[in-house]
Amino acid sequence: MGTYTLNNTAYIKLVLHAAKHPHAPVNGVLLGVKSGNDVSIVDTVPLLHHWTSLSPMMEIGLDLARSHAEERHLKIVGYYQATERPNDPVLVPVGEKVSAVIKEGFENAFALVIDGSSLGSGDPALIPHLPSTSKGVTEWLPQTPISGSTGQFCLADPASPSVALEAVRVQGLHHQFGDFDDHLEDVTIDWLRNAPVSYLISP
Amino acid sequence: MGMSVDSYANVLAEYRTRNIRASEDVLKKGIFILERNGLGKLGSEAWPFLEQLALAALDLGRLDIANECISRLDKQFVGSPRVECLQGIRLEFKGAYDDALAMYQAILEVDPQIPYAIWKRKISVLRQSGKIKHAVDELITYLDAFYTDPEAWLELADIYASMSLYLQSLSSLSHVLLLIPQNPFYVLQAAETAYTALDIPLALKFFLRSVEMVPEGGASTRGWYGVKLCARRLLSSLPTSLDAVATSSASETPLPSAHHLALLDQLATERLLAAYSTSSPSSAASKTASVSASLAGSVAADAREVLIRWLQGK
Repeated sequence: MGTYTLNNTAYIKLVLHAAKHPHAPVNGVLLGVKSGNDVSIVDTVPLLHHWTSLSPMMEIGLDLARSHAEERHLKIVGYYQATERPNDPVLVPVGEKVSAVIKEGFENAFALVIDGSSLGSGDPALIPHLPSTSKGVTEWLPQTPISGSTGQFCLADPASPSVALEAVRVQGLHHQFGDFDDHLEDVTIDWLRNAPVSYLISP
Repeated sequence: MGMSVDSYANVLAEYRTRNIRASEDVLKKGIFILERNGLGKLGSEAWPFLEQLALAALDLGRLDIANECISRLDKQFVGSPRVECLQGIRLEFKGAYDDALAMYQAILEVDPQIPYAIWKRKISVLRQSGKIKHAVDELITYLDAFYTDPEAWLELADIYASMSLYLQSLSSLSHVLLLIPQNPFYVLQAAETAYTALDIPLALKFFLRSVEMVPEGGASTRGWYGVKLCARRLLSSLPTSLDAVATSSASETPLPSAHHLALLDQLATERLLAAYSTSSPSSAASKTASVSASLAGSVAADAREVLIRWLQGK
């Protein structure tokens, strides 16, 4: 069974996205590479925070993010979302649909659900989901929550959660962070790279 | 404006009038005012200020500040439904959803004419605790009495969309469009809901209406992307008529001719390219003061390249 490792940039951007919209079920995709059986996740492309149950901008955002990933010799390897109900971190039906689309382009696709109730506690607060098919029906099942730098799903740097917390509370980096929804209101917002933020965090 | 109790109080009053949540800023400025014993200077504005600060503190998990605000309010207004509502929100914060729900129910029983705030809390708790069907029933009851409340129709539309009931969601949005016809964001929301409900001709019609309202800048980029997406999808299914799903319309919206669709497709392409070529790197640079302008310049180039590939794609 292969492992999935999130680097610092991917983890922090995902937290910044959730921190910028604490009342919205934000979502986006994760970029990475596969070597052998293992997947390294190296960047996060944030998509939506407005109407996350609706599909047109999701379709367009996925297309654009895929094209951007190819340019960087990366693939869209996973999907992430925060939930509207902080005490119930489940992958919603839309999340299952998008994850299935990602799986068409990347066999080892996975999904991460941000556990809003433990975000900010110093815990990684991520619940991985993997597809399981029986009798032709695919279900995305929750796996053991990420707990550090060991396990099937893990962080490259176990200090990422505390770095992310500081990025929000001290540096306020989430204010400089933009997603595809933001970009659609102001096309100068750099949702693909979030360069100003990437520049300030080490990979 | 410098840092002073007066200037901060003005900013917070402005947030209240414009209904802006801005919890982080409210908490920061609110604590500043409390620490300098500025409450006395606020006069009668002290009470709405404490209510606003309590909500911001609960948003950000500062139970200590919330408790201080709520206890001051409770002493001044014993048994006020607004204070009880805050106490309910504090129960929600502690995860005591059933207790919060009971509190809201009690307030509504005493006075069902209470503003939407408490209904909204009650419905939000029902949603948070997974009682979605109950939340829908409550909203429908509320809307029977307060038909003209667009916020409640939007909430209902959002619940239906989250349940993948897109046609019901669209019908709730149609009430919003009747009540507030001039807001392009609601038109876009209707367009995107129609698209998700697979009524592409109707989605195209709404996207076109949104770009008529806002031809350039702001919401228009989203609108033109939508026009392009719909026109392309309809065009690709037209010649053969094999893809009946793509051209069918539950609302029986007429399908534009192939010629008209091709023109719309072309127009959307031009408008999108124009939006990306006029976006000046300098405005991006001003948002990211700490980063060099050259970095911001490459931002626009990146976004334009992926757009061009998307426009040529499929």
